[in-house]
Amino acid sequence: MLNFSVNLGSDADSSIVYDLIIIGGGPAGLTCGLYAARYKLRTLMIEKAPMTGGQLTTTEWVENYPGFPEPVLGAKLAKDMENQAKLFGLEIEYEDVIKVDLAPKIKEVITAENTWKARSILISTGSSPRMLGVPGEQEFSGKGVSYCATCDGPFYPDKTVAVVGGGNSAFEESLFIAKYAAKIHIIHMLDKFQADQVLIDKVKANPKIELITNTVVTEFDFDQDPRKVILKNTETGKSSELVVDGAFVFIGAIPNTKIFEGQLDLDHGYIVTDQDHNTSQEGVFAAGDVEAKELRQVATAVGDGALAAYKIHKYLDNPEL
Amino acid sequence: MAILDESVIKDTTKALLNMVKEVRLVLFTQGVECSYCKETHQLLEELLTTNKLLGLEVHQFESDSDAAKKYGIDKIPAIAVVGEKDYGIRFYGIPAGYEFSSLLAAILMVSTGKHKITEAGMKFMDGLKKPVHLQVFVMPTCPYCPKAVMLAHQMAYFSDKITADMVEISGFPHLTQKYSVQGVPRTVINEKWYLEGAAPEAMVMKKIEEAIKHA
Repeated sequence: MLNFSVNLGSDADSSIVYDLIIIGGGPAGLTCGLYAARYKLRTLMIEKAPMTGGQLTTTEWVENYPGFPEPVLGAKLAKDMENQAKLFGLEIEYEDVIKVDLAPKIKEVITAENTWKARSILISTGSSPRMLGVPGEQEFSGKGVSYCATCDGPFYPDKTVAVVGGGNSAFEESLFIAKYAAKIHIIHMLDKFQADQVLIDKVKANPKIELITNTVVTEFDFDQDPRKVILKNTETGKSSELVVDGAFVFIGAIPNTKIFEGQLDLDHGYIVTDQDHNTSQEGVFAAGDVEAKELRQVATAVGDGALAAYKIHKYLDNPEL
Repeated sequence: MAILDESVIKDTTKALLNMVKEVRLVLFTQGVECSYCKETHQLLEELLTTNKLLGLEVHQFESDSDAAKKYGIDKIPAIAVVGEKDYGIRFYGIPAGYEFSSLLAAILMVSTGKHKITEAGMKFMDGLKKPVHLQVFVMPTCPYCPKAVMLAHQMAYFSDKITADMVEISGFPHLTQKYSVQGVPRTVINEKWYLEGAAPEAMVMKKIEEAIKHA
């Protein structure tokens, strides 16, 4: 079944001062955009990818977002969120932010193409896949080592792949890859998995997927044929080899906050916020996965985005501003 | 049955309202032994209904070899997005999923003359002496891919020296073998040089420079 997705920037006006600029178009940003637009704040979203949705676009099915007893496609959920926000006037531009100036009252967001100005900023830049940092990984990134199942899963019909990680992403994406691959080895460093039990049960019931615990990957030896992943058992210290055609790495994320360094308080790279989503800079708010917090889900991002919009609305209402 | 549903037609119509000049979609197709030829043809027919400035020209790949030669088409389905001239913008395979936006972006660019190439990028391309062929391998479900495709097409639009193809891999398995594509997007520069992922403009230019120097 073919589908067609329309994602083109709106004709935003870089000569005006927006009430709010949202940097990053994942679920947190889209929800904030919806609420802000309904408060009649002139709101511009700037997204670096050519479509909104953030990590929703790199997962196939979303099973734990309330209201969808049948799993919903990540890409569809994202598109629906976007359409709903646009209905109320959210503007979206697809540009890559390279610099921000957050301290002045009128804040600046600079992309390769434009300088955008606003009275308040919401940062919802989310996070990017974390790399393992072992030999061979960088070299074969995109050439056998992948971080996106919806992108590269179909390259492995009837093949054998390794999936590194033990959380929800590793398990969900393994189930997606299993539609193509003949054999999947999930390699996890601990003896217990962090994934939700319902996912663990599903994976265990899938005859294509095998679980390897207490094991770390020390190298991607992909230079020769056959390709091998070099493993090390964390209990015995013994090394072993696993012959594969490719590998996927899902070991968590790193926050996308490089451009905010020095301007905002960060904790291990994540933006420090209070319960109202204020950052250390007045008029700058943060929501979603980019915040220093414990749980990072679509459902939590959406809640963050809604509350942030409410607080931004109140902040902008201050007559002294 | 329509290939584009009502909401897509609505969004497309709205997006293409900004068109200024006529754009001709030159399709190469054939009745048999072509995956997605029929669907691509239908897609363009339906797309045509969204704006009067859009035109469609259909060529049979085998029997109309002169046209194929003129446009440098070597596989099908193929779409050339042509405006006042042929800028070397090509789509091989059906532009479905996220790539549908790449097609709309190419149409808008050719029609309005607006692109997002930076000053530095324009300067670099003005200095190009040798031809550059970019092939961007994509998957319709890959969210990173349109960025690579749109950049390549903008470069083709701007520079007479550059031609840029989107290649949807499921229709051309032999090419994924030939260029050992194992992840998308993968950009192949002049047959021999490779770039992984949706690289920023400066990185693509640097790779092109390398490819030309070592050619």
